[in-house]
Amino acid sequence: MRRYLAYLWREFRGEILVLPGRTILFSATAILLILPLLYPHPYLLRILALTFIFAIFAASWDLLSGFVGQLNLGHAIFFGVAAYASAILNLRLGLPIIITIPVGAVAAVVAGLVVGIPCLRLKGQYLSLATLAFPVILMGLVFMFTEFTGGELGVSGLTRLAPTRLHEYYISAFVGVLSILAIWKITDSKLGLVLHAIREDEVAARASGINTSQYKLIAFCLSGLFAGIAGGLYAHFMRIAGPQSLSMLTSFQAIIWTIFGGIATIYGAVVGVFVLFPMLEVLRVAPEIRLLLYAAIIVLVLRFMPEGLAPWVVDRLERECPRCKEHNAFTRRECRVCGTPLRVPLQKTPVSGEHMSGGEGLSASQEGG
Amino acid sequence: MTVPRQQQAGAGAETGSPLLEVTGLTKRFGGLVAVNSVSFSVGRSEVVGLIGPNGAGKSTIVKLIMGILRPDKGSIRFRGRELRGMAPWNIVNLGVAGTFQNTRPFRRLPIIANVMVPCLAPRARRRGEWVKRIEVKARDALEFAGISDLALEPAYQLSHGELKRLEIARAVATEPQLLILDEPFGGLNPSESDLLAKSIRRLHRGGRFGRLHSEGMAMIIIDHKLSYLLRIVDRVLVMNFGQIIASGTPDEVVLDSDVIEAYLGKEEMA
Repeated sequence: MRRYLAYLWREFRGEILVLPGRTILFSATAILLILPLLYPHPYLLRILALTFIFAIFAASWDLLSGFVGQLNLGHAIFFGVAAYASAILNLRLGLPIIITIPVGAVAAVVAGLVVGIPCLRLKGQYLSLATLAFPVILMGLVFMFTEFTGGELGVSGLTRLAPTRLHEYYISAFVGVLSILAIWKITDSKLGLVLHAIREDEVAARASGINTSQYKLIAFCLSGLFAGIAGGLYAHFMRIAGPQSLSMLTSFQAIIWTIFGGIATIYGAVVGVFVLFPMLEVLRVAPEIRLLLYAAIIVLVLRFMPEGLAPWVVDRLERECPRCKEHNAFTRRECRVCGTPLRVPLQKTPVSGEHMSGGEGLSASQEGG
Repeated sequence: MTVPRQQQAGAGAETGSPLLEVTGLTKRFGGLVAVNSVSFSVGRSEVVGLIGPNGAGKSTIVKLIMGILRPDKGSIRFRGRELRGMAPWNIVNLGVAGTFQNTRPFRRLPIIANVMVPCLAPRARRRGEWVKRIEVKARDALEFAGISDLALEPAYQLSHGELKRLEIARAVATEPQLLILDEPFGGLNPSESDLLAKSIRRLHRGGRFGRLHSEGMAMIIIDHKLSYLLRIVDRVLVMNFGQIIASGTPDEVVLDSDVIEAYLGKEEMA
């Protein structure tokens, strides 16, 4: 037992404490999971639970639009489809949460296929415009079948996510952490590599033998799945699925959070939500100029940190080893993996790439193979 | 999509049929006929050079074979199978790989990841291979192309010559039977060109390079650097205005009067 604990501590020190970024992320998660036990204020819990739900939503947008480059301006469709599906199943058929949220997520996957298949042939702005249309179409349907969807008022009176606020918070937090880890793992896998390649150059990916249509559809479905989980949680947390979940604002919020936090990183999207969503509440101290301040902060941050908040911070706290590309804490003098000195003035131009393997220098490796 | 090895060996036995057979291939861009009813064939492990003045339609032919452009007329048969209308990735997975004249790396990915992408294609992927093994294979492809010491650099840091090598590493990683190189020597200095010519001959001979192996690839090579090209090819096709105007061994073609007039006469001998 003691040896196991010692092993865990070593792993923890070696994997998490070595990098400031990971340390911050780990401690923030730990605080978010422990704090509510010490200070279970219902308002705080409500805001934090919603933050976790929206973090899944923003991360799912980042998966599709940041990683695969399929700029989706109508991401709310996945959120809304799942919210309505969960709500209708729960209210009309009386199914419990454990069924309605997964079924809602599956409905969002189907929505991913419905959006994804026509979008396979589109690129760039055309794709974005097409995705923008889908939530609008669905919104039209919602207002057409009012006896089923409740029209303007939505479907309300759903079962609560859990009997108490604290339970609700922990359900959102655990589902949130697990979903975000899953998305992160996906982007770090072979699938993630292919998705990166499709964003960088789709024609070259095809010429490498990658069925890009298939992978783009997979990305649409995965993104839909996680956005759907968020939508189902949201519906049950707010106990209502209304047309505002399909609104353009919902789609654009995900985009604002992700770009603010750092696009194509996943952790950036999560950081963006955790900074911006509670900030909107904090800014209630100045109710008249609340949104103005909010917008000003976003503009200023993006002016001075064009890559987004999280990558900017990581850039300051960590340094990439020029040789093995491992990240190191900014305090270290040499790389923790290969021992290369890190304090050498960084060259702005990629000189190493130009000269290291001009022509003659390569002959050895050429003959060798 | 993976083609079993036995089947490849079996197809090799019927020596009569060529590996690639192009008949009556036509492609129009608006009023311009870029490729005008071109027919040629490439035999097993034959190296064919495709030359011609700028705008003759060489690169268009490559893009038609690779499935990036769709032909208006004609057929492209690879080992007896019609490639026309097939998706580009299916063509690659049948065993035709090509490089782009203008290199198209995945710019923000490290070099090794650039080569791991084709290693993830169904053709290159053996059952149950995980990331580590694919990385080893990608490293072999880099080793072959001679850029393994740059494996971790992002692709946007590479020089032009290195990008050309990266293109070749990426094409070789799928272990093709037919390799199409579009201006591989373009923009390379003499020593780089010598190395590349050596690599091409080695690919043609076949054999094992770490985890990669080839049974002697057939190749179509397009280039303007005739001094290099004519030394490595078995046969040359000369194109002008979308048509093949001459075909033969390098020695024959250089002496052909049509060729001298259409191509060498204007560009090389002036």
